[in-house]
Amino acid sequence: MKFTINWLYQYIDFDLSAQELADRLTMAGLEVDAVDELYPDLSGIVVARIVSVTSHPNADRLVVCRVDDGVGERQVVCGAPNARAGMITALATPGTMMPGGFKIKPSKIRGESSDGMLCSASELGIGGGKEGIMDLAEGLIVGQPLTEALELSDTLVEVDLTPNRPDCASVIGLAREVGGFTGGRMHPPVTEDDSDQGQGCSDFTVEVLDSTACPRYAARLIRGVTIGPSPWWLQRLLLAVGLRPINNVVDITNFVMLEYGQPLHAFDFGKLAGGTIRVRKAVPDEKLTTLDGVERELDSEMLLICDGAQPVAVAGVMGGGNSEVDSATVDILLESACFDPVSVRRTARQLKLSTDSSYRFERGVDPLGCGRALARATQLVLELAGGASVPGGVDLKGGLRDGSVISLRAERCSSLLGMPLTTGRIKELLESIEIFCVEEEAQPLLVTPPSFRVDLEREVDLIEEVARLIGYNDIPISLPTVPLNFSEKDPDRILRQRVARLMTAQGFNEAINYSFVSPRHFDQLGLADDDGLRQTVRLMNPLGEDQSVMRTMLLPGLLDNLKRNINHQTPDIRLFEIGKVFHPGDAPLPTEEIHLSAVHSGRKFPGSPVYHFGHETVDFYDIKAAITGLLDELRLADVAFVANGQVPVYGDSDLCLALVVDGKSVGFCGRMLPEVLRKFGIKTDVYVCEVNLTALEQASTRPKVFKQLAKFPSVRWDLAMLVPSDIPGESIINLIKEAGGDIFERCEIFDVYQGKNIDSGWKSIAVAITYRSSTQTLDDVTVGQVHQKVIDLIGARCGGKLREG
Amino acid sequence: MDNQIQQLKVEALSRLGEIGLPAELEEFRIKYLGRKGLFPALMKQVAQAVPADRPRLGQLANGVKREVETAYGDRLDTLTLHGEAVSRSTEDLTLPGRSIPLGRLHPVTQIMDEVCGIFEGLGFAVAEGPDVESDFYNFEALNIPPHHPARDMHDTFYVSDSVLLRTHTSPMQIRAMEEKQPPLRMIAPGKVYRCDSDVTHTPMFHQVEGFLVDRGISFADLKGVLSIFIARMFDSRTSIRFRPSFFPFTEPSAEVDIGCVFCGGKGCRVCKQTGWLEILGSGMIDPEVFNKVGYDPEIYSGFAFGLGIERIAMMKYGIDDIRLYYENDLRFLSQF
Repeated sequence: MKFTINWLYQYIDFDLSAQELADRLTMAGLEVDAVDELYPDLSGIVVARIVSVTSHPNADRLVVCRVDDGVGERQVVCGAPNARAGMITALATPGTMMPGGFKIKPSKIRGESSDGMLCSASELGIGGGKEGIMDLAEGLIVGQPLTEALELSDTLVEVDLTPNRPDCASVIGLAREVGGFTGGRMHPPVTEDDSDQGQGCSDFTVEVLDSTACPRYAARLIRGVTIGPSPWWLQRLLLAVGLRPINNVVDITNFVMLEYGQPLHAFDFGKLAGGTIRVRKAVPDEKLTTLDGVERELDSEMLLICDGAQPVAVAGVMGGGNSEVDSATVDILLESACFDPVSVRRTARQLKLSTDSSYRFERGVDPLGCGRALARATQLVLELAGGASVPGGVDLKGGLRDGSVISLRAERCSSLLGMPLTTGRIKELLESIEIFCVEEEAQPLLVTPPSFRVDLEREVDLIEEVARLIGYNDIPISLPTVPLNFSEKDPDRILRQRVARLMTAQGFNEAINYSFVSPRHFDQLGLADDDGLRQTVRLMNPLGEDQSVMRTMLLPGLLDNLKRNINHQTPDIRLFEIGKVFHPGDAPLPTEEIHLSAVHSGRKFPGSPVYHFGHETVDFYDIKAAITGLLDELRLADVAFVANGQVPVYGDSDLCLALVVDGKSVGFCGRMLPEVLRKFGIKTDVYVCEVNLTALEQASTRPKVFKQLAKFPSVRWDLAMLVPSDIPGESIINLIKEAGGDIFERCEIFDVYQGKNIDSGWKSIAVAITYRSSTQTLDDVTVGQVHQKVIDLIGARCGGKLREG
Repeated sequence: MDNQIQQLKVEALSRLGEIGLPAELEEFRIKYLGRKGLFPALMKQVAQAVPADRPRLGQLANGVKREVETAYGDRLDTLTLHGEAVSRSTEDLTLPGRSIPLGRLHPVTQIMDEVCGIFEGLGFAVAEGPDVESDFYNFEALNIPPHHPARDMHDTFYVSDSVLLRTHTSPMQIRAMEEKQPPLRMIAPGKVYRCDSDVTHTPMFHQVEGFLVDRGISFADLKGVLSIFIARMFDSRTSIRFRPSFFPFTEPSAEVDIGCVFCGGKGCRVCKQTGWLEILGSGMIDPEVFNKVGYDPEIYSGFAFGLGIERIAMMKYGIDDIRLYYENDLRFLSQF
């Protein structure tokens, strides 16, 4: 809602600067978005009179004007077709900075000197539209600054209204609020309906077929009007708030809407078939071309204003072109009605047509205000467009409900706000904004909310008014007394936080991507057509195809991030994301799971100078270590990395391991296939992992149980075995564990070698084994026996033999 | 023999003087003092000298040996205690250390944890609900019926007519109150979605919703709890103001502003010259909401609040473009 300070002054006096007013409105819950001085650039523009116009000797389209600027005459070259001798217009004198940012200088135009510029309204930023220089009223004083002459100096205020305050979508409503905090009283131009409004009129008829959707319909006929431009004061106010002046009658309906908050409509009575109005729902296949020239398809839920033959307006939203007021209009029918908010909102949504009118009806207009607004509009039409109001008006109020009475308890108000309040104080506060009580002394207070406050229905609504009028900042501060209680922790959140910290400890940075993604990702990954990951939750109204489905996996987002970073010359990347994925199911809401995914690319030690670690890039064992570290810290009891297990199609199966926890596959880690990466625009090697964290929540864990520290020393024996090259290192370790029995403590593979001196098909694997007994210091004989058992077992199970030399 | 002893002494001491590295010193020890070194060899020679000279030579040789041993010991102390030769000759300690990289949490996560931490400290439970939510929990139960103009404040992504992406984390209020009886203190952090995308809006962002319900909870309590939160989150000197607003599920409703952290309240571009920044929305829970979950509004009252994490991160870190949050550019992520 926009208004100007001078406009507001028409209804209430106050002694506040524009900024102070804005602050007070904001603190009253009417948040001011902007306070702008109107036309700040127009100093230097004066009212001038064209003395003579002669044609330009060297240009067909230009004229040379002698111009009186109040001080003397000067010559100005002008290109406007409407320049004529005797015309009062606007002159920009040399030195003036125009609103567009250029400075007026004395110059020669095609050989003729020009000392200034005659201006059009649009050049000055005062509305515009019409061609040519400003054609100002005769009475203006030549030489007067234009801002003074046209009373342009004013301040525009824009209020961001909350949906509960349609009463403030009017300058009078705002004036009432100003009265609430200044103590002043608002004085509207018209306070009563016209006395003959409800008496009926023989010249036209109105029939309301749906009084639920149209609780009140008032109309008045004015004959013999002259359609023409509005006077400047009216145009000026409309321009100031961003409305385009059209003609006097239409401008009046717009002005009164802004003044009273009641949308009005003027029909050309001559175009209404049968001189009649019928308010009814649309019938199937009905159509209407609205004032904006668009043909609207109507449905049977939409309320229409029709004449004797056809629809002439979509009720509360927009009029029809077929009954539009134009320059030939002589008789007008003014409509001031009250439409059901839900009906108007539904219609406006359906038609995708939001207007100043629908905005107000959707939120609720004052049902008792229709008549006043109609009286005010009638007054202005007679004043500005002439004609005569036909005695008697129609006012059908069948759908109006009686106002309710709300009881308001002072103690309830006090306890909810946390401060003691007396009935007297509450009453005084409410009355400052015209909310009155039925009986003076009643306990509790019996309040009749004023008709313009459609938002006040319950006791608590009134308590909010009391709080607002006290001022929220004058309500005291206290702390609640609540019984001590252990607050529940969300297990998902705890797991997520642990995992996130472990990943950062391993050098990964956390990423957050949108939950909606492009379905194209599945093709880039090369997923089969029937892959379960393609079963997505689809949005009905996505912002674009790129964000049209809820993600079923996190990896594609991270790959996009990786590419972005590489493009920005950050090639050493460790990123992870923990987030939800969504799978549609039979339940009304999809299944949501929490996943972890990580991508790893570039140098192994990006934080260190290369002379410490060299340029070594990451490989499989880096991502494996990250996942191993994570799972170890989570103390999962049964974890296995399985080669040739369930590895996704986008993983390089030679360099991927499936992750199996408690016998169930919960993810994988490994290398991405280069051809898949290329589809994401990535040319480097990338190692990734994906883990279903939701599945880990239920996994068995190793309890923390103390084990005695060893009392006896350990011994380390090395072992180099030749084994067939397809024997995995893990099997050797398992065999060592098995044969080592009680005195096996740990072992570490420290060399794996194939090549020179080793037969092809074989590899040498060197292991350092640590033995320790918990009961004695081991001697060589004991260890030697066990060590031999290790060698024998490796020999027996996988054909390994001790490497000689 | 005498000469030989004296010569070894001079040679040994002068060699010792030249030594600058511990490794050289060790070589010296092996050469002169070691088991097969020159001094043990000398002692063997002395033992074979003519008996008459033996005591004198023995004394002399022992004296020299002790002298060299002492000098060796001193030199060893100097080199190992001060390590002078080591550092001065080869190491440049100004070079960077050999670090294993550490990653960082996303700034949104960091702020989220900080916000939740403050409320957890006040005894609030933490619960998260589904991102894909029913119209009932997101709107209807929160007193936003179909065709309510307040739905304009929420540009909603729909999955079907009755299922949507939650536009706020407020549905957790309903889910929690349906399950439990007061007293209740809870916060609900999470992602929320609105179909709106420009310089100041992303279609997904993060919110923390919180609420407290018990007997006799007042608007003054709301002010008290939120004031504690702001003092902890920012600074105890941060100015705060509460101003009336509208949310369908609270009444009275309040927006909370803090003094602009960029200009200190003088007025700047960020605060649109007002000196204030909106930080959260709040209010007393509307009786309609209590009716929906079967609480008696005559017995219980409570307050609720909701705040946007990205906005707070913007205020705390001065981030001026909200889109940066979801580009995951490491140059951005590594700053926090």
